[in-house]
Amino acid sequence: GDSWGLFTFLCAALCNLPALPALNCTEELGAGQSIQKTYDLTRYLEHQLRTLAGTYPDFNPPRLARAERAVPSATVDLDLWRGLTDNARLAANYRAYSGLLCYLRALDGQAGTAELRHRLGHFCSSLQGLVLSIASVMSSLGYPLPTSPAGPPAGPPGAPAAPNDFLKKMDDFWLLKELQTWLWRSAKDFNRLKKKVPPAVVTLRLEARGF
Amino acid sequence: DSHIQYERVGADVTMKCGSMDWDAAVTWTANGTDIDESHLNGSYLILKKVDLTQSGQYSCYEGSSWHLKYQTYLRVGTPPREPLLMCRSNNYPKGFYCSWHLPTPTYIPNSFNISVIHGTREMVCEKDVFPKNRCHIRYLQLFSTVKYKVTLTVTNALGKNSTTLTFDEFTIVKPDPPENVVAKPVPNNPRRLEVSWQNPSSWPDPESFPLKFFLRYRPLILDQWQHVELSDGTSHTITDAYAGKEYIIQVAAKDNDIGTWSDWSVAVHATPWTEEPKHLTTEAQVAETTSTSTSSFMPPPTTKICDKGAVVGSGAVAVCWTAGLVLAAYGVLFI
Repeated sequence: GDSWGLFTFLCAALCNLPALPALNCTEELGAGQSIQKTYDLTRYLEHQLRTLAGTYPDFNPPRLARAERAVPSATVDLDLWRGLTDNARLAANYRAYSGLLCYLRALDGQAGTAELRHRLGHFCSSLQGLVLSIASVMSSLGYPLPTSPAGPPAGPPGAPAAPNDFLKKMDDFWLLKELQTWLWRSAKDFNRLKKKVPPAVVTLRLEARGF
Repeated sequence: DSHIQYERVGADVTMKCGSMDWDAAVTWTANGTDIDESHLNGSYLILKKVDLTQSGQYSCYEGSSWHLKYQTYLRVGTPPREPLLMCRSNNYPKGFYCSWHLPTPTYIPNSFNISVIHGTREMVCEKDVFPKNRCHIRYLQLFSTVKYKVTLTVTNALGKNSTTLTFDEFTIVKPDPPENVVAKPVPNNPRRLEVSWQNPSSWPDPESFPLKFFLRYRPLILDQWQHVELSDGTSHTITDAYAGKEYIIQVAAKDNDIGTWSDWSVAVHATPWTEEPKHLTTEAQVAETTSTSTSSFMPPPTTKICDKGAVVGSGAVAVCWTAGLVLAAYGVLFI
C-alpha cells in the first residue's frame, strides 16, 4: 500500500539523477579515451559483481512470468546487434544500466548484514559512475541522452511485486544475472565503439560547437 | 532366410532351426565349421555365456538332405554406457558445436540422437558426416541468460542411454590455439627471442571479440615455465632468456572477457643469438667447461663480453662485472 508508493517515489527520484547533462570536464577527453574508460569500468564492475554476488553456475530457478521490467534484457538478435548504430548501441547500454542501478539501490533494504549493505552501496556508486561515463561518451559524440523510465513499471498501486519473499529473491537472482550479462555485452559493445570512433573527429565536432 | 541377431555379452543364447521340430536331426555350423553335438538341445543350439569371439554366421542344415534350413548372423555386444558429451564454442559469436563418444565400445552398430533446447525453443544441430560424432549450432541470439540444454541419446539393439548438458552461452567459449607461432633469435642480443603468432583462423571476429594471449617459455633443460599474459598484440619479445640455451615456447588464447583458455599451441623451439666463438681454447673456457653437464652449451668467451680489445688468455683474471653476472647465472643453473 503506502510502502509501495514510497518505493516508487524514491526510485523515481534516484533514477533521475543519472539524467544530468555531462559535465564540462569531459570535453578534455577525446571520445576514444572515454570509451576506453567506460570499457575499463565495465570490467571493474564485472569483477566486483563476482565478489559481491558469487557464481552459481548450475543454479537455474524458475523465473516469475510477470510484466516487463524497466530493465531491457541484454539478449539480442545476432544480426541486429551487429547492425546497431553507435547511437543505438550506447543508448541501449545507458537505458539498461540506469534501470539496473535503480533496482540495485532498492535491494539495499533487504541486505542482511551491514557489510553486505556497505559492499552493495559501493557497487551502486561504481554503477552510477558507469552510467555517467556512458552519458559523457554520448554527449561528446553529440547524441541525446535517452529519457529513462522512472523506476519499476507502474503496476496497480498496492499490487505486490512478487507473491512471496522467496520468489522475490529468485527474481533478484535473475536481475543480477541480467546485470552480469549486460556487463559482458558492454565489453563487446565498447570494443566495437572503440574501433569506430577516431578521437580526431570528436575534436573537430567540439570546435564546431564553439567549445 | 538370413537375418541378424544381437545378444549381450555373457547372455545364454538359444537358436532354433527355423520351423524345424525340436526333435529333428540337424547340424549347426558356425562360420562354416561344424558345431559339436554337446551344444545342442534337440535341434536347438545352446550357446552359454556368449563372448565377442562367438560373433559370426550360424547355419542350420537338415540332417540327411543337408538343406539349409536357417541362417543368422550373431553379433555379440553390449548396451551403450552413458555417452560422453562435450559442447564448445571456438567460433564465438557464430555458434557452437557438440561432440560425443562412448566410453567403451559396444561392438554393434549405434545410432545417436541429439536435441538442443534454448528456453522454449528447440534448435537444429547440423550433424557432421558419419563417422564424425559432432554437430553444429548457430546462435540466433547473443547475450542470453537462458541456459542451453543439450541431450544426447545413444541407442542400439541391446538398449539405450543418454546424457544431458546444461550450460550458459558464455561458459563454453574456448578458442582454438593460436596459429603459426614463430620464434626467432634477435641479432646481437644474446638474451632475446622474438615470438609472433596469429589469431586462430576459426575465430570469426577478432575486432569486436578480441583475444588475449598467454605465452609460456622455458629452456629445454629446466622444468619451470615462465609466463607472460598479453592483453593485445600478436607478438612479444622475451628479454630474459639464458644465453645459448634452446627454448621451448607455446602460446594460448582466450576471449578477453568470457570463457576459458584454449589449449596450448604447437610448441616451437628457438635459441637466442650467440656470437660465433673465434678462439675455442682459452684458459677461462677450460675452467668453465669442467662444471657443465650439457654438451649443447657453449659459453661465449669471457674476454669478448668484457673488453673487445683484451688479449686472449687474460679473461680469467679480468675484473668485469658482466662476466661475473654470466658466471653467477651459470653457477645457479648447474648447482
